Amino acid sequence: MSADSAASSAVDPAVSRADGRAMDRATHRATGAAVGPAAGSSLAGAAAPSSGPVLDIRDLSVVYRTPAGDVRAVDHVNLVLGAGEVVGLAGESGSGKSTLAYGACRLLRAPALVTNGSVIYRGRRVSRPADILTMRPEELRRLRWREIAIVFQSAMNALNPVLNVRDQLLDVIHAHLRMPRDEAHSRAASLLDLVGIPRSRLRSYPHELSGGMRQRVMIAMALATDPEIIIMDEPTTALDVVVQRDILAQIVELKESLGFSILFITHDLSLLLELADRIAVMYAGQFVEIATSDEIHREAAHPYTKGLLNSFPSLRGPRRDLAGIPGSPPDLRNPPPGCPFVPRCGYARPDCRDVDMQLLPVATSRDPDHVTACPFVLPDTPAPPVPPVASGSTTGELGT
Amino acid sequence: MSEQTLTSAAAARGPLAMEAISLSKDFRIGRGHTLHAVRDVSFNLYRGAVVALVGESGSGKSTAARLLAGQERLTSGTIRLDGKQVQVSSRRDFRQYKSEVQLVFQDPFSSLNPIHTVRYHLERPVKLHQRSANVSQEVAGLMEQVRLTPAKHFLTKYPHELSGGQRQRVSFARALAARPSVLLADEPVSMLDVSIRLEMLSLLDDLRQRFRLAMLYITHDIASARYFADEILVMYAGEIVERGPAEEVTQLPAHPYTQLLVASAPDPDNLGSALRGGSRRQAPATASGRPQNLDGAATQGCPFHPRCPFADDQCRQEDPALTQISDTRGAACWHLDVAAPELGSGSRGGGDTTTR
Repeated sequence: MSADSAASSAVDPAVSRADGRAMDRATHRATGAAVGPAAGSSLAGAAAPSSGPVLDIRDLSVVYRTPAGDVRAVDHVNLVLGAGEVVGLAGESGSGKSTLAYGACRLLRAPALVTNGSVIYRGRRVSRPADILTMRPEELRRLRWREIAIVFQSAMNALNPVLNVRDQLLDVIHAHLRMPRDEAHSRAASLLDLVGIPRSRLRSYPHELSGGMRQRVMIAMALATDPEIIIMDEPTTALDVVVQRDILAQIVELKESLGFSILFITHDLSLLLELADRIAVMYAGQFVEIATSDEIHREAAHPYTKGLLNSFPSLRGPRRDLAGIPGSPPDLRNPPPGCPFVPRCGYARPDCRDVDMQLLPVATSRDPDHVTACPFVLPDTPAPPVPPVASGSTTGELGT
Repeated sequence: MSEQTLTSAAAARGPLAMEAISLSKDFRIGRGHTLHAVRDVSFNLYRGAVVALVGESGSGKSTAARLLAGQERLTSGTIRLDGKQVQVSSRRDFRQYKSEVQLVFQDPFSSLNPIHTVRYHLERPVKLHQRSANVSQEVAGLMEQVRLTPAKHFLTKYPHELSGGQRQRVSFARALAARPSVLLADEPVSMLDVSIRLEMLSLLDDLRQRFRLAMLYITHDIASARYFADEILVMYAGEIVERGPAEEVTQLPAHPYTQLLVASAPDPDNLGSALRGGSRRQAPATASGRPQNLDGAATQGCPFHPRCPFADDQCRQEDPALTQISDTRGAACWHLDVAAPELGSGSRGGGDTTTR
């Protein structure tokens, strides 16, 4: 069913772009190695949009079929992932960010159903762009892990508890690459080197590893086939801050040296601001804002993004009044008309119910790629009055 | 230790509720090895005040909470509640103790029983701890306190029908059902979405104020401790390595480990950060390495020395005691003059910057 509807969308004949992309990648990598941390952000901002997309998600919709009606988990979204780019997918639980990523890789099963869209993949190793949603099973098998790998959130659940680290790595290598046994063994060992785990750990079982090490093993498994894209689904959420920082730094290092792209899913926007080149903020199955990290940080346009930005306590600088986002996301079986954020929005006005959630450029932004679904609020609008946290005053009732 | 002369930054909030005096807990871990999970830890909890225990996993912060909750036996040390030493020798004693001291767990997905409704989770502690209460009225009141309204709507629900935040509200309500004076919150918000965390912390803060709870807030997120707590205790490898008013500890960390914690927190204002540049940030201390007491034998010297950029022979030989920096602040480091030169040596006035 999904294939039928998806097939209707045209496959982009971007043959010439493949070459250009290779060039982009080369320059991106060269400069990335040369410039220091200070220049890193400007580089990321400049290089991201110009490099050709490895993954082009168009008009993707995913529903969950339930007896009570369809839950529109992902609703006509477009997202582009450039070569060597880190795109952050931010949103609360249930916003559809994981469903979007898994749906794009056809990893969902019933009752989830991809009802619309195309996902064009252009990799170094594939001769021409292909739509993942219409691929035949054997094509899909070649694509998965070889081209697009995933690092799951809970490493303890994702790793097989009865296999040691070496066997798990060998499993991946043998399943996706043709390789003689001894070569595979040395590859497994060098993968551990890459992620900074001593080789002596090859014989360890998952329960013998710390949480950080398990997550590193997951990353090593994802790197095993030298994929073009790695989807990271909250890879550091279960870890504490010191380990988290260490692993993120490692991920970025590996990305710079190996040149893959990252789709990074998290509910922690503060993390993305530091890590990602571009950030797509998702709410109730739709994007509400997409921009570079710098733009989001400097002049977030959508009230939801502002809410997220105002949700985490900062360590540095003066103590500010924090608000969080009171209430909870809407029921996607029966989404409200217009903007789904209205019930929780401090800026809401009557015509918000007529907003069609088109992503349009933010008028005041210098960056034409800074788009938002909110046509009313300008970046410099002051924050709406909300009771600050920890003041002892009672915040609003739970929105139920 | 010179802790006795240190005044807790939380003391101004209210009367002393609970004292932890030189708590230690060893675990035997096979082949005659001992893990010193908590070593000589002392602190006080005051009514209406929040003390944060901050550290990474394995630092012993949760064990400390379990000791206070009476869920683990002390290896040595004393716990006092309202001035009286806690002696739990019978089930009845324990129940009585529980009605004063309650624990909230990190994971709202596993701390509620999936086969029971919200009503059951709340009625049980009310019946146990408040014999004469009107149960349904009390339960409705609890739901109101944690803002799970309308109560009728939620009482018949099972945990799987609730969101993470709602489940944690039920946990809070369950803890409050005993009408405790002390609430030990073990990472109460770290499993929740960032956007919900603040709301939950502000709810906790509200409850603290309304019930004059003495609260121990355990977390690895030192930024949230800055906003939420009066006093911060930083724990490493079972020891308190730094303590002081929340604002001072986070703004001018003295101990190299606290400096590492502060440097590791995501910093959205630092956009050109090392992370996106691809090179590892020049952290004041190396991030790799595990707390050293995990390998069994008690390490010699300062527990942090293998990861510390200032470590020298003295650090490898002797474990530093908590040195007083000001009236309310102390840190256990031999080289405070090098690690935190801004702090001066012991003569800093206890600046009162911690007003919330």
